[in-house]
Amino acid sequence: MSAPFAAALRLLPDYLGWHVALSASALLLGLILSAPLAVLSARDARVRWPVLAVAGLIQTIPSLALLALFYPLLLGLSALTKAALGVGFPALGFLPSLLALTLYSMLPMLRNGVAGLTGVDPAVSEAAKGVGMTDRQRLWRVEAPLAAPVAMAGVRTAAVWVIGTATLATPVGQTSLGDYIFSGLQTENWTLVLFGCAAAAILAFATDQLLGLIETGLARRDRRRVLIGLVALFAGVLAALTPLAVGAAKPKGYVIGAKNFSEQYILADVMADRLRQGGASVALKNDLGSVIAFRALAANDIDAYVDYSGTLWTTVLGRSDTPPRAVLLQQMAEALKARYGVVTLGPLGFENAYALAMKRSLAQRLGVHSIADLAAHAPELTLGSDLEFLSRIEWRALQSAYGLKFRAERQFQPTFMYKAIEDGEVDVISAFSSDGRIAADDLVVLTDPKGAIPPYDAVILIAPKRAGDGRLKAALQPLIGRIDVQAMRKANLSVDQETDKRSPEAAAKTLEAALGL
Amino acid sequence: MIALKGVAKAYDGVLALDHVDLKVERGEFRVVVGASGSGKTTLLKTINRLIDPDAGVVEIDGRPVLEGPAPLLRRRIGYVFQGVGLFPHLSVGENIAVTPKLLGWAPAKTAAQVEEMLDLVDLPRDFAARRPDAFSGGQRQRVGLARALAARPEVVLMDEPFGALDAVTRDVLGRAYRDLHDKLGLTSVMITHDMMEALLLADRIAVMRKGRIVGEGEPADFLKGGMDAYVQALVETPRRQAAAVAALSETAARPRERGA
Repeated sequence: MSAPFAAALRLLPDYLGWHVALSASALLLGLILSAPLAVLSARDARVRWPVLAVAGLIQTIPSLALLALFYPLLLGLSALTKAALGVGFPALGFLPSLLALTLYSMLPMLRNGVAGLTGVDPAVSEAAKGVGMTDRQRLWRVEAPLAAPVAMAGVRTAAVWVIGTATLATPVGQTSLGDYIFSGLQTENWTLVLFGCAAAAILAFATDQLLGLIETGLARRDRRRVLIGLVALFAGVLAALTPLAVGAAKPKGYVIGAKNFSEQYILADVMADRLRQGGASVALKNDLGSVIAFRALAANDIDAYVDYSGTLWTTVLGRSDTPPRAVLLQQMAEALKARYGVVTLGPLGFENAYALAMKRSLAQRLGVHSIADLAAHAPELTLGSDLEFLSRIEWRALQSAYGLKFRAERQFQPTFMYKAIEDGEVDVISAFSSDGRIAADDLVVLTDPKGAIPPYDAVILIAPKRAGDGRLKAALQPLIGRIDVQAMRKANLSVDQETDKRSPEAAAKTLEAALGL
Repeated sequence: MIALKGVAKAYDGVLALDHVDLKVERGEFRVVVGASGSGKTTLLKTINRLIDPDAGVVEIDGRPVLEGPAPLLRRRIGYVFQGVGLFPHLSVGENIAVTPKLLGWAPAKTAAQVEEMLDLVDLPRDFAARRPDAFSGGQRQRVGLARALAARPEVVLMDEPFGALDAVTRDVLGRAYRDLHDKLGLTSVMITHDMMEALLLADRIAVMRKGRIVGEGEPADFLKGGMDAYVQALVETPRRQAAAVAALSETAARPRERGA
């Protein structure tokens, strides 16, 4: 068994357990909501149109967006309940994923439920009335059993959709089989990506087959098939949930967050490792969106993570001035503490700034050393960026400072952005200064003579509720000021490179060893 | 037994039942004849409240049918219709047992009743375990009859019960039901568009046209003539057909006589 495969397998009980817990509860909730709505819609055409139209509309929202939209919605609701009742609820993770997937599951259940019920032979419905059944008896004894096979086909479709879509719960902070896919994509670990896809596909297939057994059982009035299908489904869910229940029985530990790129995974692993060495239990929450990570920390959903001063300064605090590095750090820490109660433990010692980079050969040919030089050539060049750069303040600052205007701008998942510049599809990219691939791919970072981009010191942030947690601080304090940019680039490259690829976990160990921790 | 007093029902402003009065005596086999759209089905359904009238009263044994909940009323009345409407997810036995179960009969009593009903409609007892979709139209309607009679109703309503069957089966089932009607002392109201069927089965016939009863009497009264022109025309067809068939059989018989 290869090492990456073995590593993937070790994560399976946790990822699969959550994936099943999420999908099963979304389907169950969807079914509970859809069944009465389908009955109402079948009885009354005035209800049917709006119900099916809304369900159809929800289906047209891209699933990732639907999941993401529940986060601000729940955040707002949580603030309201906190103000009104004194209790909030987590806006990240299970709840938004559950709600989005539930909505997502409802269209096929509703459509098939309505089709099944309206498809019942009117003669049979009339007979049910004629023999003296009440409306409720007619529904339960005649119409529901007759509609069941068609309705069940809808449940099958919903199950396959939900299990597939649940992989997108990862970016909103819910562990799922999507964790394999997102982190694999990020670190170019295709074994991990394939493993995640295959696991989700097998789960969907098995569920579909068991539901199919129930469906044919209902259609052929074969109670044995229905029973076997139900028992197998129930046993499967139970088996998948057991590792979670065992895990939940352990004392709750710290939750370390990470955004969605290699450096974040590595640093999260380093922090987790430090805490574990101190005897604490730690869970990781990877692949959080850039802004979501801070919100999650402020809401105490995660206990600590690494962010960058420039990002916090511009995106979280909404500042557009760029004071000197030390001043910015100090003012940022004060503002975060005052506004959110978030503690800035300190800078790690390296910067991971947004930088514009291009191939050395092209830069030499055009005679470009700085962004100011680039501005003259930009109209003939194509910019490749990650998914958030173009909507960030830093980009606007660069544009206004240097009058940058590219021929075209294209967005990529960071992994593919490096591929794109390597293949010459783009000429300039929005790189990160600590990225190991800058040196590895022979790219040059263009200087920023006007200082348009703020400094991006990596800092450890601690959640408000852990502000007085001495154990946490003691475990993480040794990291402050210890990691220089060379060490970080090396660690990043070991995860991102194509040959002799390391897992973030292994890179974290190597980094710790290099630091003498 | 059954009385309709000034019963009216309109659909989209058009009167399907135009203040109809009708009396059916206990034990009577009443057939209501009419073309489609004459209001005959609407009339029948006001009796077991599948349709509630806009005006007028329907009474059974002197009590308005609107008095109690409709499902309780329907459990006391047998109902057979052209669509048959056997429940495809239930066995023949379960179909027949449906109303007794709704009435809360003991399982043993219900099971015995199912066998008795199968005997009554001349179907083998081992049909009880089978699904209805395997049977012919005539057999299915026999099951439909068994289901309607299972809870021992005094009143049976039939809406073109044999309309979808071939002529032979129709005749056989019609006569079989007439026998059951007499044997069980039922009060039956049957709807048909076929005057011949009415003449052969009914104790009394009512003819409906445009929501009204335009002729009423015993079959013999209809053959005597002197009724409304529309009714006369309805009777004319079976009479002419009968005469033609009689003439044919006579010519068919003659050469044989000669040859003998």
